[in-house]
Amino acid sequence: MSTLIQEVRQRGERLFERHGIPHTRLEHWKYTDIRRAIEPWLAEKADVSPGSGYEALPTDDVAFQGIDGLDAYRIRVLDGRVIEIPEALPEGVIVQPLARLLADDEARAARILNADEQASLFNGLVALNTARAQDGVVITVEAGIELARPILIQHMGHAQAAHICHALELGAQAHAMVIEHYETPEQTAGFTNVVSRVQLGSGSSLVHVRLQQESSARMHIGRLDVCQQRDSLLKSHVITLGAQTSRLDLVVNLNEAGASCELNGLYLTAGRQHADHHTVIEHRAPYCRSREEYRGILDGRSRAVFNGRVVVHEGAVGTDSEQRNANLLLSDRAEIDTKPELEIYNDDVRCAHGATVGQLDEAQLFYMKARGLDDSQARELLTFAFADEVLVRLDVSAVRRHIERLSFDKLPYAGDFDAMSLGLEESA
Amino acid sequence: MLEIKNLHAEVDGREILKGIDLRIGTGEVHAIMGPNGSGKSTLSNVLAGREGYEVTAGTIMYKGRNLLDLSPEERVWEGVFLAFQYPVEIPGVNNAYLLRAGVNAKRRHLGLPELDAMDFMQLVREKAQLVELDPSFLSRGVNEGFSGGEKKRNEIFQMAVLEPSLAILDETDSGLDIDALKIVAKGVNKLRSPERSMIMVTHYQRLLDYVRPDVVHVLADGRILKSGGPELAQELDRRGYDWVREEAAA
Repeated sequence: MSTLIQEVRQRGERLFERHGIPHTRLEHWKYTDIRRAIEPWLAEKADVSPGSGYEALPTDDVAFQGIDGLDAYRIRVLDGRVIEIPEALPEGVIVQPLARLLADDEARAARILNADEQASLFNGLVALNTARAQDGVVITVEAGIELARPILIQHMGHAQAAHICHALELGAQAHAMVIEHYETPEQTAGFTNVVSRVQLGSGSSLVHVRLQQESSARMHIGRLDVCQQRDSLLKSHVITLGAQTSRLDLVVNLNEAGASCELNGLYLTAGRQHADHHTVIEHRAPYCRSREEYRGILDGRSRAVFNGRVVVHEGAVGTDSEQRNANLLLSDRAEIDTKPELEIYNDDVRCAHGATVGQLDEAQLFYMKARGLDDSQARELLTFAFADEVLVRLDVSAVRRHIERLSFDKLPYAGDFDAMSLGLEESA
Repeated sequence: MLEIKNLHAEVDGREILKGIDLRIGTGEVHAIMGPNGSGKSTLSNVLAGREGYEVTAGTIMYKGRNLLDLSPEERVWEGVFLAFQYPVEIPGVNNAYLLRAGVNAKRRHLGLPELDAMDFMQLVREKAQLVELDPSFLSRGVNEGFSGGEKKRNEIFQMAVLEPSLAILDETDSGLDIDALKIVAKGVNKLRSPERSMIMVTHYQRLLDYVRPDVVHVLADGRILKSGGPELAQELDRRGYDWVREEAAA
């Protein structure tokens, strides 16, 4: 291994040693205690030697589910290793396994892997990712390229730790849609630690979907870092359905004037699941716009955390920011901790935020019963409608329907998604 | 069709209905008029089975069955329909789906085959014309962004689709301008039939100019103080309600 990569790895180890596993005395980890559950997955000493990226891994015992009806460029990642990349890609679109870059272009690989001090402070596992990530997908969309089909990155894993590092770079005026899909076989434990670093060139636009439906025995820790240049546009959809404990840090840097982001989120938790979403939007330049709406539906004894931080820096005049978080509690033993955090360092801004926690509306339920729906049907429909309000913003119908179906099926009712969605389709 | 005897009902522990007696024959249209706070909406909600409206005494027999034994949705399946005074907005639940789910639940209950998507759409397009609703509203959220008039027209439209035996129109005329009132009234008149009974709960007589009732009742202080023909409505409009109270007290 080259000295450069070695240095980056060692720096990651040192940072991880300094900051350690996040603990509940840290302000941003107050409600999420991962220490005990994560312990077994850290002992494992991962093999970080660069491979070809196409090692023959056992795939016969896992089945990638995919998304029905979606025509996409498909990439497959198993246990943190890229095992399949698309054979034919349009000109100007490059997809490489990080493992290959580690061997071929170490300067770039080092840049992609490198954790910054700030991120490590927020979450020490980012530094661990730098130290241990074996592989990941590096996607480059060159300036002016408009990708007509989405890129789908499917993740699957056995009961082990997977440290994955993805990078996505869009050149000026490029347009793409990328779906990160995480699933693991039901009942399987394991630990996913994934960092995705995204750079959006000026005037580019990205639709990013992050669908996490890992086994309810698994731990999933994710970070999505986005840096946006002038007039770029990010539309993000985060859907969290799976994992026993999950944590996502989504950090968007609006670095240049006119950049804008729309962050949509949905988390559905049940049983004893714990889902924590921390988002940070840094308004660092004038006339940037951010819109954020996260919704949660909590059942059983599950717990969710939403922390939405918006920082408007000095000089970021003309900032326009709105944030909402709405939660529906289906059980009186479920718990949500929600907190907006606004830091504003100039006067010329428009910022709004709000958080709600509630149950289903009795007047709406009665109205539906007065039209002939039974109690369970009325509740199901209202609950689904609550979730669907954030899902309808997803423009690719195959993906939206897939997620709607998963969400519907996760709700604690017996209804049939097809019967319901027929009603949606035919009247549309 | 409907026989109410000595009905007493409470909301939040406060007695609102204090002994209502009312008998509505098949195909009859009755108007229930009264001042604010007389118990009109309480009666509508009790008939529809809303939670929080507690019947403390009396009986309601509907088609020979005890209505109070039925859940709100069972009442719908058996042919009772409430057109709401204030229809709620339900963003994200589309009109067509809600209605199809309701119609098919009723059909299942009656042992009829469910309507498939095509039959259903044909039915609703036809019924939408009754109240001059643009069928595109079907794909919108229930009452979402509807004007006051559109909401009331939607109520009558839903009534047309669900084809009830007993329709309760709770202040259907409130909040309507004269054009919307005419459209709604026209829809209601088209739905009158010898098999269908209606209760029109209203504060003012103006709806009754367009939908002529067979019987008019005056509800005040939780009791029916006076009943009469359509001319009673005009008298109430002219003289107000106080004389009925005085007459009843005498």
